[in-house]
Amino acid sequence: MEAASIAHGAHDDAHGAEAHHGPIEANHSSRVDAPTLGMLLFIISEIMIFGAFFTAYFFIRVAQGDPWPAPGTTIPVAVAGFNTAILISSSFTLHWAETSIKRGNRFGLRAGILSTLLLGATFLFIQINEYVHLGFAPRDSAQATIFYGLTGLHGAHVCIGLILLSFATIRSFRGHYSPEQHKGLNVPGIYWHFVDIMWIVVFTTVYVM
Amino acid sequence: MINPLRSEGDAFRFLLYVIVVFGSIIAVILIARALS
Repeated sequence: MEAASIAHGAHDDAHGAEAHHGPIEANHSSRVDAPTLGMLLFIISEIMIFGAFFTAYFFIRVAQGDPWPAPGTTIPVAVAGFNTAILISSSFTLHWAETSIKRGNRFGLRAGILSTLLLGATFLFIQINEYVHLGFAPRDSAQATIFYGLTGLHGAHVCIGLILLSFATIRSFRGHYSPEQHKGLNVPGIYWHFVDIMWIVVFTTVYVM
Repeated sequence: MINPLRSEGDAFRFLLYVIVVFGSIIAVILIARALS
């Protein structure tokens, strides 16, 4: 014990001020930084949540063999198709914002992020308007339940995405981002593209097929 | 494609890939439905 403490003291002396105290430092991946890895793991958990809702959807349509949508109800495919175009466009404007800041173009950044935010808000507004005019409620049938469940789950994600994008928009206008440092735009951007991809899956399964 | 979400740029390219693949699958299904 005493010999060990002497040896430890000798070790400290040898390293002087560089001697490390306390718990060992956390390991940092050289391949993926912590915010991006965190977002990736979050998205994986999100895919599982959507997977649970899609299981219910396919149970109704495939295992149960029920008609889709429920008899006597219609789903507005054209409106949803228009909304799909709006959401896909928002991914392009977001990409424009990101490529702009990489080149040091602040106007492109601000115009891109602001139009992304407006397109996202328009998508959500149209979806809420669609809910108002659908003419059926979630309790009316199993099909209605899963329709509102899937599209509502996605709508909640758009809402979260809009909150993240509004932070990025405010920071863009305050000049927080530079060609070297724009992680605060990059990470919500990954999330927004995920929300967009999820909508393509929801739209094709719920509205088209 | 081990991790398509390493950056916003990678995620955007993955989005384009999904749009193309999904669009192709849906087109094939709709054509098959129309012909049968």
